[in-house]
Amino acid sequence: MFGLVGRAVESLYYVCVGLWTVAKHTGRAPITKEFPDTMPDLPGAFRGRLALAVNPETSEHLCISCRQCERVCPDKCIDITAHKSPETGKLELIDFKIDHGLCMFCGLCTEVCPTTCIINTNDFEMSDYSREALIYDLKKLTLTQDESAHYFSKKYLPIPKPKPKPAPKPAAAAAKPADGVAAPAKPAPPAAKPAEGAAAAKSAPAATDKPAGDAAATKPTAEKKADDSKDSEKEKAAPEPSAAEGKAEPDKTEG
Amino acid sequence: MNPAVFEIGKFARLTVIWLSIIFGAVWAACWAVGVFAPALINASGMPTETASLASEVLRALVPVVAVAVFIPINAMFMVLCERRALALFTVRKGPNRVGPDGLLQTAADAVKLLFKEDITPHGADAVMFTAAPIIFFAPSIIGVLPLLAAASGNHELFRSVNLPTGIFYVLAIASIPVVGIVMGGWASNNKYSLVGALRSAAQAISYEIPLVLSIVAVCLMAGTLDVVKIADQQKDSLLSWNIFGGGALLPYVNLVVAGLQGNNEQVQAIMQHFQAQPLGPFAAVLMVVCCIIFFGIYITGACAEVNRIPFDLPEAESELVSGYNTEYSGIKFAIFFLAEFTNLFVVCSIASIMFLGGGHAPLPGLEQGFTEMLGGILKQLPGSKEIFSPGWLINSLVNPSTVSQAFWIILKTYSLVIFAILIRATLPRFRIDQLMAFGWKRLIPLSLILLIALTYLRELV
Ligand code: SF4
Ligand code: SF4
Repeated sequence: MFGLVGRAVESLYYVCVGLWTVAKHTGRAPITKEFPDTMPDLPGAFRGRLALAVNPETSEHLCISCRQCERVCPDKCIDITAHKSPETGKLELIDFKIDHGLCMFCGLCTEVCPTTCIINTNDFEMSDYSREALIYDLKKLTLTQDESAHYFSKKYLPIPKPKPKPAPKPAAAAAKPADGVAAPAKPAPPAAKPAEGAAAAKSAPAATDKPAGDAAATKPTAEKKADDSKDSEKEKAAPEPSAAEGKAEPDKTEG
Repeated sequence: MNPAVFEIGKFARLTVIWLSIIFGAVWAACWAVGVFAPALINASGMPTETASLASEVLRALVPVVAVAVFIPINAMFMVLCERRALALFTVRKGPNRVGPDGLLQTAADAVKLLFKEDITPHGADAVMFTAAPIIFFAPSIIGVLPLLAAASGNHELFRSVNLPTGIFYVLAIASIPVVGIVMGGWASNNKYSLVGALRSAAQAISYEIPLVLSIVAVCLMAGTLDVVKIADQQKDSLLSWNIFGGGALLPYVNLVVAGLQGNNEQVQAIMQHFQAQPLGPFAAVLMVVCCIIFFGIYITGACAEVNRIPFDLPEAESELVSGYNTEYSGIKFAIFFLAEFTNLFVVCSIASIMFLGGGHAPLPGLEQGFTEMLGGILKQLPGSKEIFSPGWLINSLVNPSTVSQAFWIILKTYSLVIFAILIRATLPRFRIDQLMAFGWKRLIPLSLILLIALTYLRELV
């Protein structure tokens, strides 16, 4: 009997505690976000529409057409068209299509991307009138520089290093033969040392100075000077550098 | 400013606006039918007998008109109020798009429901299927009539519905809706509906007993079944409300007050009265405890009667789709909906009349002061004798004592409604076996014991 009364009192107490807790919630500000009027404040990790980022500092496209995202996608909704550039021999992106009608926003593609190019944005308003309109192409996918900067900072992503400049490339390509010559030219002085004593005395200090200073533009002229003195030695040294490099490098930096 | 305060303010504004709409409309309709039309008939040169007969008929119609105007608007308000209050309790905003700040949401919903297709399912018993919502709804119209007399402070227009056995009549009528539910569930030709309906029948039968016993206890203390008399007995102050033992504590409070005032003669008189009843104080305190528990039992039983959470097993969405009204659509569904909210209002108004002093103010003097003030203002109006002058208009429109009574009863009833919403926001649903066990093994024995205790305590006080 008393146990029953005690239990009744206890349960009544807990009901009252519950009622009081709920009543207290009246004093809280509503957490409702009135969506079309105010945009929800989404966290950076929110998995919304996919997009391709550009480097926030240099605005170059980050995709290297490695196709990892295409391969990992469980829905096979990424379609990359790329070709090997005839000039550089590197992959060049032609088109990049994502079918957002198929995508399930798992975010796997963003995890495998080696350059943090493909990212989930916070955009979720993609409704459209047809399924075809959900297939986004490269132009629609690529973010502007500002947007990329926004998402990079929001997702705490490290800013990628700029790619090796494509601008000096043509110049380098044109000077390929010279470059090929220039590279072995560095180890050349040590190789030349034993060969010629007196003739090298003039050119050797100049040659050892150059790699230390390492000014690409002045290199050819430096080589020119060396060339003048000994043409025949260069022919001999050219096939060598791969073998000589290991030993020659420390020499060069010390010099 | 804190946005929560803002939300509560919006809720309060909504409540005030809707309540003014509801009771303004009811008041205006009553006045038009009961005062203005008879006056018009008398003023037009009809033969006296015909005119008086016509006015009598019109006056007799007033309560029905009042209820007919009141129920639909009130149900609309209650749905909106419930949704907004639930939103407040669950830290949301609730409907806030239709009309200014969502004020018209339920009006729009009602219009939508009325224009929806009315479907009768295949294999349903069409006659029963149509009759069920009507049988469910009709009692809530008929049942509130005696309460009107109590709520309006026995206004002369509502005297015709003041039955000597008022509360008995209300309770008898209140047990009819379950027939409508069972009919609807059976006629739908749907097993979910049938299970919902049967659960509802079981629940209504089990919980009606403690509900009625708690009302019986109040009638026992009051010594009458007449709701107007029961309300009038509680008019003195908070302490004479039935929830606080119907004035059991009053002599003791009077004693303390007299002692503080140093009124020795009065103290002597009261002490002499106590000498005859040595167990009096003890019995009075026990009686108050009994009455408070009875109030709790009434609220529990009432929640079960009107199928509200935590007793909403007949329409448990997770188990029964929507229970007995699964197959209903359009206007029939609207009627079910209307009736459910009207029933909630009815049980809350019964509680405020039976336990919380009806239309009387919680503090002595408050009601009288208000009535006198308003009466004084009305007397200043010019031309109150001439018919159809502004003075007559306002004088016949506003009755000070009715205004004050209506105000208090509205306040109490809607506070109880909001309490029911708070319960809904807090408690989870019972399981059917727990429901039955709680009803039969706990509530009914408890109310029987308390009733017997109250019978004896009443003699000792
Ligand atoms: S988010 Fe998932 S489904 Fe969508 S494109 Fe990336 S890998 Fe494919
Ligand atoms: S994984 Fe990244 S870099 Fe590779 S193809 Fe996809 S988007 Fe381009």
